[in-house]
Amino acid sequence: MGIINFLVYLAIMMAIYGILSLSLNLQYGFTGLANFGQVGFFCLGAYTSTIIVLVFKLPFILGLLGGMLASTLFGYIIAIPTADLKEDYWAIVTLAAAEIIRIFFLNESWVVGGGPYVGGAFGVGGIPQPLRSLFSAYTYPFFYLGIALLCLLVAYLVINSVTRSPFGRVIKSIREGDNLAQAMGKDIRKFRIKVMALGGAFGGLAGCLWAHYHGFISPEQFLPLETFLVWAMVIVGGKGNNKGAILGAVIIMAFYNSTRFLKDYIPIEEVTLASLRMVVIGVLIVAAMLFMKEGLIKEKKTIY
Amino acid sequence: MSFTQIIINSIVRASELALLSLGLTIVYDILGFANFAHTEFAVVGVYLALFLNVSLGLGIVPAAIIASVLTGIIAIFIDRGVFKKMRSSGGIIVMVTSLGVAIALRNTVRAIWGASARNYSVALEKPIITPYFRITPLQIWIIVIGLAAMFLFHLLLHYTKLGKAMRAVSDDPELAQASGIATESIITYVWFIAIGFASVGGILIGMETYILPYMGFAIIVPVFCATIMGGIGNPYGAMLGALVLGFAENFGLYINFGQVLGIEKIFHISKGLFIPTGYKPAISFVILILVLLVRPRGILGKKKAG
Repeated sequence: MGIINFLVYLAIMMAIYGILSLSLNLQYGFTGLANFGQVGFFCLGAYTSTIIVLVFKLPFILGLLGGMLASTLFGYIIAIPTADLKEDYWAIVTLAAAEIIRIFFLNESWVVGGGPYVGGAFGVGGIPQPLRSLFSAYTYPFFYLGIALLCLLVAYLVINSVTRSPFGRVIKSIREGDNLAQAMGKDIRKFRIKVMALGGAFGGLAGCLWAHYHGFISPEQFLPLETFLVWAMVIVGGKGNNKGAILGAVIIMAFYNSTRFLKDYIPIEEVTLASLRMVVIGVLIVAAMLFMKEGLIKEKKTIY
Repeated sequence: MSFTQIIINSIVRASELALLSLGLTIVYDILGFANFAHTEFAVVGVYLALFLNVSLGLGIVPAAIIASVLTGIIAIFIDRGVFKKMRSSGGIIVMVTSLGVAIALRNTVRAIWGASARNYSVALEKPIITPYFRITPLQIWIIVIGLAAMFLFHLLLHYTKLGKAMRAVSDDPELAQASGIATESIITYVWFIAIGFASVGGILIGMETYILPYMGFAIIVPVFCATIMGGIGNPYGAMLGALVLGFAENFGLYINFGQVLGIEKIFHISKGLFIPTGYKPAISFVILILVLLVRPRGILGKKKAG
């Protein structure tokens, strides 16, 4: 793989994970909802879009919207039973919900049409890439990077305008404890459900981009590991700051992908390297929580 | 599979889960956060026992005891290095930190021992076969150890000074501290006991099935489910939760839901409506969500208010 190809690949991954990170930042950074199941939205978006585009032969844009819609609904549904609960219950419920999504796609190959598309543990291949025929194998990644960056920009603009609006002020007050928001007569439950649904939409968007870029998805790609990577991004980058969330995605993805080449220089087994990489991610989360609570880019505190 | 067999399997599973949930619930109670690293600590114990048993050739019993003591000590060190600095932080901050600890622990284990399945070097014992069920000597041991651990814990909580102090800290940390209870040293004991029990539970699971770095994650949802079902901070609730979950996981696959719900005749389902085996891990997830929906405080409720 040439250096340019690698950099374009890396940039696409940064954009996709940047969207995931923005979405988690809205939920955790701004609202205080510990979503440990971010990968569930990612997975659902990827599979829904694949089914729409590959099985039903509909255009890419409909896949994208369908994936976002499915993830929005999923966020809405899991928020209903949990909306009244203390925040630590959220973590385990979302983690469980994401695993249910994965187990579903692992067991039900018929949802991707079965037969010709296989599905289940074998995954689904041959997912069409949008406007692939207009480009050469070399130029296509640049075009896809454009799509990914455009989506990242949309996600940033939408989430930024939400967090700056009166809605954003309410969710920040919910994060600081329910009392203030309740005293102001706000229905905390509704706000939490809305945040999960909106965050879910962008989690799904990232999933669609992932599926159509790689052209292959399988339940194994949507392990809780992905959720933890996104958490590292939000915490290192700076929770409660949208630029921070993107910066976190850039840093963690650069670290995560560049260490792949280490095995060319030092004799180390693939699995050991992969494990050590995750040890660093875990230690980074702990260190950031201990010594750099606000992350690299601090949240802007506005005094009204 | 016979009815008695399913009951036996359920009790074995419940004993393993109880060993793990007990520790999770007391840490949650005394330290006030959901420790997502709990089951990963158990995996550390599992692999330390593997090292002692397979690499150093120790018998499984001394290996398990030494490994569990060592894991308890490791937990104390991690508490001193990480969690102690966050005593005044909110539960969520510490919980997210414990997630970081969990990722680091699991992958350290994977980096040292690799990702493939391993086994302890123990002689395979013949199962006891009766017309109604079969049970291995190991499974009898799991039940005995599970019950013994629960009984020991009960004695500890009610008949020792430490137990009294633990209950005092759980009821009102500030009052306990004002009454001259050294909260920090209680916390040290709590970590040791909680993680020691968890490690024993993990080793028993490893002996009954096989050992994988991923096994801590595989069991985290059932363990949390049992803990929440029993009411957080309630050790007896955690045991009951483990029992309910053990039965639910095993019976869940053998219940004909078509018959139970009476929809068999409406939809003409001739084979019956069963939960497919592939969804066995999902049973505890669904129960967890149902419990939170219906009774978020657990079956026995929280023993303290606020």
